[in-house]
Amino acid sequence: MIGLETVATPAGLLIGVLCGLVPLGAGVYYKQYRAGLIGLIACTVTGFGCGLLGGLPMIALTYAVVISYAYVNKQDPFTSRMALEDVDFSETRREHFQRVMARIGERTRASIRALTRNKAGFAGFLGIMFFVLVTVFGPLFIRYEGETHMERRAPGALALVAPPSEGHPLGLDWKGRDVLSHMVHGGQRLIATSIQAGIIATALAVALGSAAGLLGGPVDTVLSAIANFILTIPGFPLLIVLAAVVDFDSDFMLAVLFGVLNWPTLMRAVRAQVMSLRERDYVQAAMVLDLGLWHVISREVFPNMVSYISINFIFTIRVAMYSIIGLTFLGMVPLRDPDWAVMIFTGRQQGVLFLPEAAGMLLSPIIAIALFQLSLVLFARSLEEIFNPRLRSGL
Amino acid sequence: MTPIIELRHVNRSFIKDKQVIPVLQDVNLSIEENEIICLVGESGCGKTTTGKIIVGLLDPSQGEMLIDGQPIANHDKQAQKRIRRQFQIVHQDPFASLNPAHTIGDILSFPLRRHKMVTGTGSLRRRIWELLTMVDLTPPGDIVNKYPHQLSGGQRQRVSIARALTVQPRLVVADEAVSMVDVSIRISLLKMLHRLREELGLTIIFITHDLALAKYFAWEGRIAVMYLGRIVEMGRTPDVIANPAHPYTRALLAAVPEADPDLTRSKHVLQLRSDEIPRLTAIPPGCAFHPRCPFYVPGLCDVDVPALGAAPGFVQQASCWPLQKGLPLVPAGLTPEMTADARP
Repeated sequence: MIGLETVATPAGLLIGVLCGLVPLGAGVYYKQYRAGLIGLIACTVTGFGCGLLGGLPMIALTYAVVISYAYVNKQDPFTSRMALEDVDFSETRREHFQRVMARIGERTRASIRALTRNKAGFAGFLGIMFFVLVTVFGPLFIRYEGETHMERRAPGALALVAPPSEGHPLGLDWKGRDVLSHMVHGGQRLIATSIQAGIIATALAVALGSAAGLLGGPVDTVLSAIANFILTIPGFPLLIVLAAVVDFDSDFMLAVLFGVLNWPTLMRAVRAQVMSLRERDYVQAAMVLDLGLWHVISREVFPNMVSYISINFIFTIRVAMYSIIGLTFLGMVPLRDPDWAVMIFTGRQQGVLFLPEAAGMLLSPIIAIALFQLSLVLFARSLEEIFNPRLRSGL
Repeated sequence: MTPIIELRHVNRSFIKDKQVIPVLQDVNLSIEENEIICLVGESGCGKTTTGKIIVGLLDPSQGEMLIDGQPIANHDKQAQKRIRRQFQIVHQDPFASLNPAHTIGDILSFPLRRHKMVTGTGSLRRRIWELLTMVDLTPPGDIVNKYPHQLSGGQRQRVSIARALTVQPRLVVADEAVSMVDVSIRISLLKMLHRLREELGLTIIFITHDLALAKYFAWEGRIAVMYLGRIVEMGRTPDVIANPAHPYTRALLAAVPEADPDLTRSKHVLQLRSDEIPRLTAIPPGCAFHPRCPFYVPGLCDVDVPALGAAPGFVQQASCWPLQKGLPLVPAGLTPEMTADARP
């Protein structure tokens, strides 16, 4: 699988452009040039950033959007005002495919509209995109400075650390290295690990919460007992203790550990939601109609929890990020340059916390982290509007 | 003719806080194909539970339910599901009965696709068109891509009915199906149900707390009046309305407001001895209605439970000791001579 290992490499760029040819081709074919071009750009960026992992879904979405623009002018027999006898419902496979794609495209457009309608939420989205793009693509343009630059010491200065200057817009760190290059190179791991931790915690919470809520009985009792037990453990101190024992060389291990310790809160919320949703009239109707358990879970219960779950997912990422930063700041995980959290840690360790010259080196990661967190919080506001059809349609 | 559904001595109880709550007791009900039957009673009388047992959402605690003369357990698993599907329910709350996450077209297409009621997307869309037209949601193209929240209560209730019709049921339980809809929409909904019954040969079980509605809707059918988990009176609607037997039915009818003020003023008000409905955990011994009954006969009504049966002077069946024994109904504390209008 050509996935994340192609991030920001020529191979990724190639994948992205190839993916983008699909919506572009469709745009040319249906004379929807603007949508096709936007599709090409979107596919290129995601393919470049995530390889096929991001490129393939983006092909589907952008292609659907192009089709939905083209479909607007096409008369759907269903919406005609003719009598039933005069309506021809038969459609070829191709027409059916187009109709389904047009619907997906319309929903995508409605989601984008919902996203841009809420100003604060959209600002959050832009903030997240900014940090993701900078940390993923920034390294292509700005070289990483790993070695000490003694020669950069300003005449008369005691330390190498220096405030912003021409050529080094964010200043120099304690080894005389460019802070900007550290900022650009040091966010990727932190953000990626936080997202992994968020995914693990949320996935565990949703799976176990749905199981407990739907199956009830002994399953519910056991799962709830485990959740309650984990909830009583003070998570962060335990992470500190475990950090001394477990080998955190792998970021993924850190994410797993965070996930395992942080699913219970959301799990209990999901369980309560499932329990209340399964008593709804429409779930009962689905049962009387014999639509099957899987249908009830995936089509009746889950869609009504998506906004709630996604908002919690964002918040879990937020908490995971702070936990990792906290662990790093305390020096409990192996330190690796370049990393935003390590920058704060070394600032403290090297005793430059109180040097005014070190403002660039210390404030840069702090402000970046704070802004990223703020973006997450703001973006979470938009999710409700994106996933709730009532809010999405703007009525 | 074999009844489409027959309840025999059906009991249903729930356990709450280690207390057994008998919601249904000894319910016997036999429903013919293409019949309209109204279950009437105040909240908590077990009418919804009866409906849920019929559509298979609940199982009876005791007693049995025969479908076409056979217990459902006689069939294999697949056949059971197929038979169950012939009984559909339309819920009371039009705001809770449709999933807010799906469009109307999706809601209708799920059962159609799952049970292979259609072949291919063309016939799926034709069928959705048909169903929406059937429930008077025209033009269908305006409805099909909308979400439930974009429809009015009456329109949603029509969608609920269309959804029940997707699997071509033989029987539909309408559980207070028009109670939460604007009064102006009610009549058209009821007329539509009548039309569907004629066109599709549906059997309709209409659950309501409103006797006036029952009278209007089930004039050609039957009414079963329920009180505290039992059927206390059952018979053809004109008989029950014109000449109510059980004191509880009389009280219900007396409480129906009339549009004509003169009629309302001249109406005989039946004064109950108590307005308090006994709790289901403490159902009074004997006839459950006796603590409220104005015609209570001490020593007779509060000993044994009366069964639903014939009463002299009435066409319909009623479960009332004095009536079944042919005694005149006398308001408690009065002698027969003192009350002129106490009917036998």
